[in-house]
Amino acid sequence: MTATRREFLRAGSVLAGLTLAFRLPDLIGVSADDSGAFEPNAYLRVASDGLVTLWVTHLEMGQGVRTLLPMILAEELEADWTRVRIEQASPGPRFKGIELHTSGSGSSAGSYRRLRTAGAAAREMLIAAASAAWQVDSASCRAERSEVVHTASGRRAGYGALAAAAARLPVPATPALKDPSAFTLLRTPVKRVDGPAIVSGRAQYGMDVRVPGLLFASVERAPTLGGTLVRFDSSRALAVPGVRHVVPVTAGIHPGVAVVADDNWSALQGRAALQITWAPGPQAAFDSDRFLADLPQAFARATFKVRHEGDALAALASADRRFAATYLFPFQAHAPMETMNCTARVTQATAEVWAPTQTDVRTLAQIKKVAGLSEEAITLHCVMMGGGFGRRLFADYAAEAVEVSRAVAAPVQVTWTREDDLRHGYFQPATGERFTAGLDRRGALVALVHQTTSSDLTIYDIHDGRNIWTAPPKPAKAADAYEADQSPWGAFDTPYEFPALRVDCADVTGPVPVGPWRAVEYPSTVFGRESFLDELAHLMGKDPIAFRLELLPAGVKTVGPYQIDRTRLARVLDEARRRSGWSTPPPAERGRRRGRGVAANVYHAGSYLAMIADVSVADDLSDLRVHRLTTVVDCGMALNPLGVLGQTESGIAWGLSLALLGKMDFKAGAAVQRTLAEFAVLRIDRMPELDTVILDSGAAPGGYGEHPVPLVAPAVANAVFAATGTRVRSLPLTTEALRA
Amino acid sequence: MALFTIVINGEPRQIDADPRMPLLWALRDRWQLTGTKYGCGLGQCGACTVHEHGRAVRSCQVTVAAAAGKAYTTIEGLSADGTHPCQRAWIEEDVAQCGFCQPGMIMEAAAFLRANPAPSDRDIDRALAGHICRCGTYTKLRAAVRRAAGDGR
Repeated sequence: MTATRREFLRAGSVLAGLTLAFRLPDLIGVSADDSGAFEPNAYLRVASDGLVTLWVTHLEMGQGVRTLLPMILAEELEADWTRVRIEQASPGPRFKGIELHTSGSGSSAGSYRRLRTAGAAAREMLIAAASAAWQVDSASCRAERSEVVHTASGRRAGYGALAAAAARLPVPATPALKDPSAFTLLRTPVKRVDGPAIVSGRAQYGMDVRVPGLLFASVERAPTLGGTLVRFDSSRALAVPGVRHVVPVTAGIHPGVAVVADDNWSALQGRAALQITWAPGPQAAFDSDRFLADLPQAFARATFKVRHEGDALAALASADRRFAATYLFPFQAHAPMETMNCTARVTQATAEVWAPTQTDVRTLAQIKKVAGLSEEAITLHCVMMGGGFGRRLFADYAAEAVEVSRAVAAPVQVTWTREDDLRHGYFQPATGERFTAGLDRRGALVALVHQTTSSDLTIYDIHDGRNIWTAPPKPAKAADAYEADQSPWGAFDTPYEFPALRVDCADVTGPVPVGPWRAVEYPSTVFGRESFLDELAHLMGKDPIAFRLELLPAGVKTVGPYQIDRTRLARVLDEARRRSGWSTPPPAERGRRRGRGVAANVYHAGSYLAMIADVSVADDLSDLRVHRLTTVVDCGMALNPLGVLGQTESGIAWGLSLALLGKMDFKAGAAVQRTLAEFAVLRIDRMPELDTVILDSGAAPGGYGEHPVPLVAPAVANAVFAATGTRVRSLPLTTEALRA
Repeated sequence: MALFTIVINGEPRQIDADPRMPLLWALRDRWQLTGTKYGCGLGQCGACTVHEHGRAVRSCQVTVAAAAGKAYTTIEGLSADGTHPCQRAWIEEDVAQCGFCQPGMIMEAAAFLRANPAPSDRDIDRALAGHICRCGTYTKLRAAVRRAAGDGR
């Protein structure tokens, strides 16, 4: 199918020859100041002066989409990378039908073909325009560095000069894509496009938005889970110099009172002067230590089917020997460096919102709901995020800003303090994993049973306006609800082959608001699985890597929608073994014990990773140090190897934070950790030496923003066991946990 | 409220504010110098680091009363065109991911290298241990400080 100019004009454009739809209805607006521009689709534009503009149709939180997505376009367009302009897409007519929503490491894999097609279509049209002008066969022309070249004569024409003519041609629906072996930009290391803006302080994050007449707000929220506002007295707050308004807020996760002032400091002072009476709500006794201690009892209720292969229960019953272990994973916070914030300018008729968000869709929905306006009356600017990690997949903080701006009839920026951010987030759920293995008389594995637990991600309910603390329980889930959802991740799609396998799940939804966190469910399930395989290997007297390789027969395993290529996982394990010097013992050090541990995982059948940790612990089990992490990655085609290395480093730091340092506790219905001293995350002095190898298998890009995270904790825990003989089955791996 | 004069990036600026207001909020909310970031307000993360007479300080821990009469440099004033050896090294090593913490890191590193032009890796770790990068760009940070040190020599 081709979208012709005629069809496009019927669709409503008034200026001829400027824009064509790439995929109806992605129709785009027309820039009136350049009648010779070429915009065959929403993603790119060639101005008559030759400037190529590439639109980023996902949202940047540090994962590198603002560099990678334009690279994909530029590769097929054959645009000169040194002369392109990058523009961030925000919701609006131009991007109708294109979701900017960014989660689940989906941007590169999800955009790869679409952006290539968009770039290739434009390239073919530019070549066609040149060959028509030169009266030569288009096959005798090629494109390179924003020019079309007639190979035989050496004749050249810049994209700018061809733009007007190209815009008059039909858009090919199935343009020929380049062979990846001919890529000149993709699969080469490309630096972040925002580097210069970031290092000079010019990069504008949500918190840096400044509009005329902007007021600043700070919100005191209910201190307990499900707490409610009874009454408040604002007189002292209003007496603080600079304070303009005090208004209640109901649109966020927890109810609160907003103090609106000329600057953040005045707002904070006013907030401290508020006198508020809260009702603690029905969860004021909630204690996360008790919740974790109770988790093992949930395994008896693990009746939801996740994955059954063979009759594992019968095999276990007739096994000669059974071995079981339970692993616990605590609550975790996202704690991005930029705390939640949003800027809103709401009037009776319009709303303009600047949100550092991962989700245009949910943010727009919240603005519509809270402002009571139609989508046409709303302008949403998706601005850069100082980290996202899943926290910005819900728009509670945007809803608050809209509500406050509407109430005070002025532009308002609501900024969360670090304490607010830690106390009133939604969290990575605390979960438990129990594994039972059966061995026959000869010591061979006959069955594996994995009982896992899962919390509903209640942030979805909260976002939809449901009060999870007082609402009646939702209808019971179907017995195959988890299997149908291919979850929990890492439990459903375990890559190993067992003679019989049974994975069942228990629902342990509690009062702590929980939602997606970096790598979602994999961190807990993979910690359990990779720790247990290590325990089994030692029990069976096998090398932990050799044992895993035994469980990875060559070829592809189909699990639900996933085609898990075990050969690829075996290859990264093998390379990690070789690279890390696994077979030679680590150097000895007086007073310390040293060891290595391994972990492996496959993320949604797309990316295959193996990691080996080299750690040491003092003889008295204090001072755990991670010296080196060897990571071997096959994420399919590494579209930007520099990006893959960066995300490896980033995922490892995240994984080390959860392995060694941080967790969230709840006492008396409230979050305990309120500062970055209490919720500790990794700092530079504990960052190990990294050795990362990318094995580019040439397969389709598998995504990579989260993938190293789940491997770190089990690799380190397994290395601690190798070093000390101490098995730690809960996180974080503190000295107390090692000595317990 | 009281009137204070503070020199920011070579330019004297006046502010009428609560004497206890941290310099951070004066920079960001009154003077629109938003390159200096809020990360915790407690001196635990380093995102708000600026130079006070060339020394790295946390602007969330300096009140405008204490800052009065002193001279500060923010990331916006570190170089005229983003070519300070640290800024160049940061781009060369492709350090930043989300980038939010990086202005603070760069200000810390710039002050540190002036006092320690040839640091060891351990010195670098010690100098930056007061900062947090949640994206975990730590090995690249080390490389960038080493590169900037080499550049400055």
